[in-house]
Amino acid sequence: MAFTLADGKEYVKTAIAKGMDVDDFAGRLSFFWAVGMNFYLEIAKMRAARLLWCRIMKGFEAKNPKSLMLRTHSQTSGWSLTEQDPYNNVVRTTIEAMAAVFGGTQSLHTNSFDEAIALPTEFSSRIARNTQLIIQEETHIANVIDPWAGSYMMESLTQEMADKAWAIIEEVEAMGGMTKAVDSGWAKLKIEAAAAEKQARIDSGKDVIVGVNKYKLAKEDPIDILAIDNVRVRDGQIDRLKKIRATRDTAKVQAALDALTASAESGQGNLLELSIQAIRLRATVGEVSDALEKVFGRHRADTQKVTGVYAAAYDSAEGWDQLKKEINDFADAKGRRPRVMISKLGQDGHDRGAKVVATAFADLGFDVDMGPLFQTPEECARQAIENDVHAVGVSTLAAGHKTLVPAIIEELKKQGADDIIVFVGGVIPRQDYDFLYEAGVKGIYGPGTPIPASAKDVLEQIKKALG
Amino acid sequence: MQGVLLGEPAVQRRAMAKSITLLESTLPSDRMLADELLTGLLPHSGKSFRLGISGVPGVGKSTFIEALGLFLIAQGHRVAVLAIDPSSTVSGGSILGDKTRMEHLSVHEKAYIRPSPSSGTLGGVAEKTREAMLVCEAAGYDVVIVETVGVGQSETAVANMTDMFVLMQLPNAGDDLQAIKKGVMELADLVVINKADIDASAATRAEAQITSALRLLGMHGHPDHAHFDEEIWHPEVIQISALLNQGVDSFWHRVLKFKRLQLAKQKFEQRRQGQAQSWMWERIDAGLKQNFRGQANVKALLPELTQMVISGQVPASTAARQLLAAYQATGFPKN
Repeated sequence: MAFTLADGKEYVKTAIAKGMDVDDFAGRLSFFWAVGMNFYLEIAKMRAARLLWCRIMKGFEAKNPKSLMLRTHSQTSGWSLTEQDPYNNVVRTTIEAMAAVFGGTQSLHTNSFDEAIALPTEFSSRIARNTQLIIQEETHIANVIDPWAGSYMMESLTQEMADKAWAIIEEVEAMGGMTKAVDSGWAKLKIEAAAAEKQARIDSGKDVIVGVNKYKLAKEDPIDILAIDNVRVRDGQIDRLKKIRATRDTAKVQAALDALTASAESGQGNLLELSIQAIRLRATVGEVSDALEKVFGRHRADTQKVTGVYAAAYDSAEGWDQLKKEINDFADAKGRRPRVMISKLGQDGHDRGAKVVATAFADLGFDVDMGPLFQTPEECARQAIENDVHAVGVSTLAAGHKTLVPAIIEELKKQGADDIIVFVGGVIPRQDYDFLYEAGVKGIYGPGTPIPASAKDVLEQIKKALG
Repeated sequence: MQGVLLGEPAVQRRAMAKSITLLESTLPSDRMLADELLTGLLPHSGKSFRLGISGVPGVGKSTFIEALGLFLIAQGHRVAVLAIDPSSTVSGGSILGDKTRMEHLSVHEKAYIRPSPSSGTLGGVAEKTREAMLVCEAAGYDVVIVETVGVGQSETAVANMTDMFVLMQLPNAGDDLQAIKKGVMELADLVVINKADIDASAATRAEAQITSALRLLGMHGHPDHAHFDEEIWHPEVIQISALLNQGVDSFWHRVLKFKRLQLAKQKFEQRRQGQAQSWMWERIDAGLKQNFRGQANVKALLPELTQMVISGQVPASTAARQLLAAYQATGFPKN
């Protein structure tokens, strides 16, 4: 929350520095929160955010009351959805949606219950939409503005959140603003450290997730899911691109893109306006961003080096120390530590899971290579070979597993390295497990697999492959 | 070995990777094979320019190496990058993420990038990296860049295995120049101030401060000084912006000048000869230590004496003397 507000503050500062009057644009700013399962805290978060935004905007001497208001969209947490016993997710999403409404969100996105398994079906999307409609039209919940006002618990929780967030906002300010905080990697590091810690609390059973680490089902029944034919999607998209390229006025597009690059270079003109002009002429988003990249370069997300966080939170020693010992024994016997590469393939930018896994594996004593985002199977295979890893772990959350995973296995073979084993983690429907095993995958770890369990299995598979 | 020397690109890449793994192995049996491999590769090595680059985390080493690597490839070079990542002292594990910031270089066919974990012992990694350089050279890479995170000790190790050692700094580093260890500054053949685009005045200030610091160390000659010798390289300070790809050519220009002056005065060879000697001594030290730790007498005494040193019952020097005496009693055993 503090980072989001600090972001907003940075936008306002930038706009004012460009000579705009704060009241001319502040009313159009809008925020976006994820709302998780910590019910009271989520409500307090949104109340505190509103309080702080008003404070921040008064600091910019905004006169229009609309400039002081925090408008927001909320989305229920995708992260709280479970692959196990997935109908529970309907309940989770309902509770999160209620927190968002109690917190006074202006608009709301409710997730579908099957999103930890696959992309949503028509059925699961309908339930998600109806969750909102029921809250809105059956319950009268939406009839009261700020119904928690005056509750001692809620007011003190709100105050506490506001104070803590303000301290972080001031810390960001002391670093020179949010741009510097992001640039230095500090902000990302804090977020990833928190994620690793949370995962460790779940894996160790300190935080309860029904159906995952408590009240587990003996047998999971498969649910109907939406199968995506990636090849068809990709080919369709390529066809569309070809058509657009063939039918548009290439000279005009190029001129518009050049104008964009020139503006970025000189600092004169409005980049957004020029981008829209280019896109109206059917320039692609990729071309527009390329035109800007020529001048600005490309932001590279700094690869975190958080270590120790997971281990610190996972202090239930059972299994952990034993596994660490096994890894040390492996290192003694084989002359080096087990080395795995964690990779993100294709157009899938969800890298928090991969980062958490990398951190935890390193804490256990693995040497972990991180691949960059959006790697192709060829590039991934090459990196795995150059670094001579024992195993490649593919993290997939955007339904690309059926094409990308066989492709990496194929590439490794082609480049002469079929001794490097492949395992997969992320959002993978049970229905696809057999397909992946047949393609040569040695381990599949769905959401909710405790990391030490997957690490143990990876170690066993590496040992087996080495003979 | 044949794969490293003659392989098709894909074969060679894999052979290099496997060779470096072999060199990094801690198994005594692998060590024998590794030494054989090195003996075979040695005649084919030594033809590259070895460049060491160090700096604190966040200074932009990887971004700079990406820009430099692509620049050199465009000039017809083949570039190998050996990056040393620190291992956790608690778990022994590590996260190696350099390639995420060398996206273009890491997929270029004329580049080879290999990150290695430091495995907790900086001396050890220096030894392995030195050997890995030979593999890259034998495979025909004519510029080998060794990248290390600045944590003090590692700079010395890298400076001792490269032809030129470059220290990277941030523009604001001038404010806390005291924090830079004097020893590290003395190692630098060239100081590069990166991210000069972010704050030009701070970069200029840093340049002035580091320049005067170098001068205080007696290393930075000045054209106005009476004893300034144009034929000798004096460490310089330059500003660049790796992100915007600015200053890479002027950087390489300094490197070439450095190389020319070093070669002219035979300093280039002298430095390498000295390094080969210290490589030998490092290996002797490491071998002795390993042998020492593995010897039965020492093994029996070590835990108890260590505990007594920790608790303050016995001075460390006395414990060391007792252990050495116990070791000498049986001589140097073959193991």
